[in-house]
Amino acid sequence: MRHFVYGAAVVLGLAMPAMAEYPERDIQGIIQWGAGGSTDTVSRSVTPHAEAVLGAKVILQNVTGGVGAIGLNQADRADADGYTLLFGAENPLLYKVMGLGEKDYADFVPINVIARGIPILVAQPDAPFDTFPEMIAYINENPGEVRFGSTGPGGLPSVVTAMINDKTPIDVTAVPYDGDGPALTALQGGAIDVMPAVLGAALEPVRAGNLKAIAIFDSEGVEQLPDVPAITDTNPEFADLLPWGPFFGIFAKAGTPDDVVAKLTDAYGQATQNADFLSMMEGRGFRMLSLTGAEAQEFLDGWQSQTAWILYDAEIAKNSPEDFGISRP
Amino acid sequence: MDILSNLLIPIVNLDLLMLIAVGTFAGIYVGAIPGLSVTMAVSILISFTFSWEVYPALALMIGIYMGGVYGGSRTAILLNIPGAPSAIATALDGFPMAQHGRAGEAIGIVTVVSFIGGFIGIFALGAFAPLLSDFAIGFQPRDFMLLAIMGILLVGSLSGDSLVKGIFAGALGIGVGAVGMDPLTIQDRFVFGISELRGGISFVAVMIGLFGVSEALIQLHSIHTPAVRQKITGIIPSWSKVRKHLPLGLQTSTIGTIVGALPGTGGDIAALMAYDHAKRVTRNPETPFGKGAIEGLVAPETANNAAVGGAFIPMLTLGIPGDAVTAIMIGALFIHGLNPGPMLMIEQPDMFWFIVSSLALANVFMLIFGLTGIRLFVRIVELPRTVLLPVIMVLSIVGAYAVNNSLTDVYWMLGFGVLGYFMRLYGYPLAPIILGVILSRLLDDNWRRAIISEREDFGAMMMGIFTSRCRCACSWRW
Amino acid sequence: MEPTPKRRPGELVFNIAIMLASFGLLYSAYGISGFEALSAPGAVPMATTAIMVVCAVVILRQTLRKGADTSQTMAADILPLIVIVTIAMIAAYAVLLRPLGFLPTSVLFLLVMVRFLSRRGWGFCLAVSVGTVFVIWIIFRLIFAVLMPQGIIPEGRIVSAITSLF
Repeated sequence: MRHFVYGAAVVLGLAMPAMAEYPERDIQGIIQWGAGGSTDTVSRSVTPHAEAVLGAKVILQNVTGGVGAIGLNQADRADADGYTLLFGAENPLLYKVMGLGEKDYADFVPINVIARGIPILVAQPDAPFDTFPEMIAYINENPGEVRFGSTGPGGLPSVVTAMINDKTPIDVTAVPYDGDGPALTALQGGAIDVMPAVLGAALEPVRAGNLKAIAIFDSEGVEQLPDVPAITDTNPEFADLLPWGPFFGIFAKAGTPDDVVAKLTDAYGQATQNADFLSMMEGRGFRMLSLTGAEAQEFLDGWQSQTAWILYDAEIAKNSPEDFGISRP
Repeated sequence: MDILSNLLIPIVNLDLLMLIAVGTFAGIYVGAIPGLSVTMAVSILISFTFSWEVYPALALMIGIYMGGVYGGSRTAILLNIPGAPSAIATALDGFPMAQHGRAGEAIGIVTVVSFIGGFIGIFALGAFAPLLSDFAIGFQPRDFMLLAIMGILLVGSLSGDSLVKGIFAGALGIGVGAVGMDPLTIQDRFVFGISELRGGISFVAVMIGLFGVSEALIQLHSIHTPAVRQKITGIIPSWSKVRKHLPLGLQTSTIGTIVGALPGTGGDIAALMAYDHAKRVTRNPETPFGKGAIEGLVAPETANNAAVGGAFIPMLTLGIPGDAVTAIMIGALFIHGLNPGPMLMIEQPDMFWFIVSSLALANVFMLIFGLTGIRLFVRIVELPRTVLLPVIMVLSIVGAYAVNNSLTDVYWMLGFGVLGYFMRLYGYPLAPIILGVILSRLLDDNWRRAIISEREDFGAMMMGIFTSRCRCACSWRW
Repeated sequence: MEPTPKRRPGELVFNIAIMLASFGLLYSAYGISGFEALSAPGAVPMATTAIMVVCAVVILRQTLRKGADTSQTMAADILPLIVIVTIAMIAAYAVLLRPLGFLPTSVLFLLVMVRFLSRRGWGFCLAVSVGTVFVIWIIFRLIFAVLMPQGIIPEGRIVSAITSLF
């Protein structure tokens, strides 16, 4: 009944100053990437658990475009009151060096850095090489012949290719796709030969034998594909660059009151521990992080400095990380 | 026997049956309202059905998908605002029919042929899925490019009186589609330093502006002419009429299934290609195309509904989405603990047959819900324009805003509405613009992929086209 | 073909504007990447804008050949007042949408437009506008959770008040 009276009062336009505790209305969640993508799936499957803790609805909507910058800017324009959340991936940390925008996660507070993807190198099943050293040897014998899938500068394939180039320069043809889904489709159709992808997207075709896994691009192997070696097993020189991977996180605008951030952090912290969610994340080949507070910030800073410098050294980045106070790792 | 029992799951479980029915019903309205899309509705359902079992969740989504693809034709016929991009071609002949008092007849035939198209797509899914997915996945960038070029050639049949104006409009559409940050190179194109333009111009905003707003502005000229009385007889098409158009419908359903099965192309392109095919093969339509030809309704509506079954083909056989909606459904399967991929059909064949039979049921519900209530719907057109036009404008604005929650899209909608208004007055056809926008990325991206794959060797790429799958598949049309 | 079409009022101006805009876009497309490579991001934009320029020139030539239609006037046949007012109203709607919020702006827009077009009583206009906006709000906000700009009416609290009743 009390609710009803309050509701009636509001309907009559007698809205009082906010007295109720946060959250007293629906929260808006902006997903940086399109419906059906990894960021979208992860955001939509963790949120119902957090809603249960918060006791409010989080209305998710996809605001896409500009490698996620359109969504980030929209979240940045909203008030710092915790009623607008950003569900994003790693890309904003590269906006400054790639010349894509002035804003990045420095303008936000991390609520939860949920999980990290593991890069994997996959090839066509009939590719004339099975291991990473064999692949490098083949590429060197046939310069420019091998077609690598890519998802545009700054995407996972470009970073992984830059890392490979950093250790052993290779001459390949990069064919751009708009996302790793279409690129993996093209790989299975024979339009490209090799693709650095995220494990989750490549897992099923690899298990079915439609794709051949060359190496897990990480410092250790994964249990989903026990037979595939980690790159550091064959080429230990990569150890100083790894582990590296794209990640997903939830962010609120900087300046959001501490108690609101604490409440959101608690809700999403609990949500990411949910058993159903964990098993889905494992099935999709993600490594759970669930980092919050200072830990999350440290992770973001480290990731940014490492990746920005790799891209700058590979001459993919337009601007020097130094210009933005990003120090060399 | 297993197949049969799996096929029977949604039929013998009353709750699943109900969910499919509810989904289909809701889908028709989602499809009909510009700005609400099936993609949006299915995304929302992911969170909504989170705690459900996988069968009920899928049943609801499948219903919405099937109903939504069909629903787009409603507003296209009644108001000349396609509810979804796949209904654009339907507006070309459907709206002229409504203006001659034949809206009921148009909706009736559209409903029946949508059912036929949907059924053929589902049949192809059930019978030839592995075969078709092998074909679809082998499509190379140059094949997609060729497909896009074939699509662009449709400008010829969409141009009306002036071909040169049609070509201009088509080129403008391709340019509009290229606006924003190019995802392949992150290079800005036609952005002019405006950060809102980085994300591109929302296609739906362009569509609502060109069709809905400019039409409303044109109608202001004759605001006080009374609305056309709609005939309410002959709504359910006679068998002889259906049979007359069945051969065409079968051909365009095939086009729809194949284009739907290709990853990255869906019902919108399928419908336009089918429309062109109809124009080519129909020698003597009773009414000319663009003025209310039944063939102009049969072709796109069979094709876009056939594309639904088609889109599930690569999804269920390989875990590769055939379009945006199946991409979300793959996410839904993951959330429900399944691993959609090439192994799904081997490890969980029940899922495949469950989806086939749910689609078939949704298709039947679509026919039932589609044919009932038409009389009520056509009354909308009989409302006085002085009331109807402002309401259409509000719906257009809300629709343009809702796509991406962006006010910029509303301005684009208005801008294209005014541009479209003048273009109409001065004899420019508008459909080629939409065609250009739809095909822009397909053409541009695949052109670049094809030429990069051959290391900038134009000759080698042209040679490749002679052995191309797309050319082989499509040569029967010429 | 229509029998000897005449040039409508404003047609010449429109086609000149289209041609100038096409040249501008071609220049802008050239600026993307120049003649760098066949696979450059500017290749297709340059090709399409070049086609636009060629078409616009041809269209302009055709227009110049046509004789002016003297039976039509700009004010009566191309841009009557009613069209100008409507365009201005939609623009005003878009401008006010964020500060005022969806509900008041839409009601206001419909009220003025229906009144302006139909000249019927205020009661009728108010009923139509409030009813329509209510239905749209239910569909978009409540069922499909599309958040429209909130503005001056605390919609979010109303919705949570309504949902908390159940």
